[in-house]
Amino acid sequence: MGFSSDPRARFNLEQVSILLLEETPLGMSILVQILNGFGGRKLHRCDSVAKAESIARETELDLLIVDAMASGGGYDFVHWLRNSGIRPNCYAPVLLTAAHTPAAAVTNARDCGAHIVMAKPLTPKAMLDRIIWVARTGRRFVESDKFVGPDRRFKEGGVPEKVGAGRRREDAVQGKG
Amino acid sequence: MSESSKIHVPDVPLGRLIRMPGGKTAGQAIADAEKGLASLQGESMKELNRVLAKAEALYARADGRFDALVVNAFYALINGAIGLPTAGKDRAIDTMLVSLADLLDYYRTSGDWGDKSVQVHLSTFQLLLRTEGVRDPQGTELILAGLRKVSRKAAKG
Repeated sequence: MGFSSDPRARFNLEQVSILLLEETPLGMSILVQILNGFGGRKLHRCDSVAKAESIARETELDLLIVDAMASGGGYDFVHWLRNSGIRPNCYAPVLLTAAHTPAAAVTNARDCGAHIVMAKPLTPKAMLDRIIWVARTGRRFVESDKFVGPDRRFKEGGVPEKVGAGRRREDAVQGKG
Repeated sequence: MSESSKIHVPDVPLGRLIRMPGGKTAGQAIADAEKGLASLQGESMKELNRVLAKAEALYARADGRFDALVVNAFYALINGAIGLPTAGKDRAIDTMLVSLADLLDYYRTSGDWGDKSVQVHLSTFQLLLRTEGVRDPQGTELILAGLRKVSRKAAKG
């Protein structure tokens, strides 16, 4: 694949247009500090689903980092995006972050169309591993009546094995189920 | 897969953009991100103290009984706080918050309420905030293991 999160490997986020959806101000600050640290400059900060939908309609996005939110609005936003027909945004890689996934939302988390679900707390290393993983080209995409999103049947290695202790083990890669 | 499914490989500009000349090494990027997170430490601790005060008020409002409105508000409060301690590199508080969220999620779906189980989490929350930076790691781990047992036991009924 040519690049990885090996400490010596180089990557460049300067020209990457990134939408951040996070409703808590401090949660947003955490995301911004991590992405600024990575060299990200084109950050579209959204504190509501309505704002995220508006940005997704008006701006070409290369990556979305979406919090599930206590209301489950993050799942709904990803589902809306995948079914929106807004190209190329409807195919853009989506990292879904979740503080706690209540039992009632497990199906939503699995089926909303995100590439990866990341359990909080977020760490820079885990975030970078996942950005690099979703940036790999050649990922298949499924559009059917029941599901629109990255193909969950692929057999590809990579993230997120051995990426830290604790809740990182709960992180789910859409595609292994 | 139904017959109406379409499978294709869309163009993903991220893969090209991330390879453009310039940028940073992964090691430098992670170090810079951690430095940025460290700048949020004070704000994170202030916010966690606010969360604790709100959690104690909700616990008092429950008054030892299940109250759907209180439990849902309590769950939303704790759910929103998970991950905030990361800015202060305090994984112990995050572990406690996840355990409390597990517990409250169980209560809000079952209609049960375990006063002592919630109380022990809040007492631990207080303790972890007061001892931030001066904790004994082994003692802290034992306390957190105890909390996880409490939330698992409650969920099993």
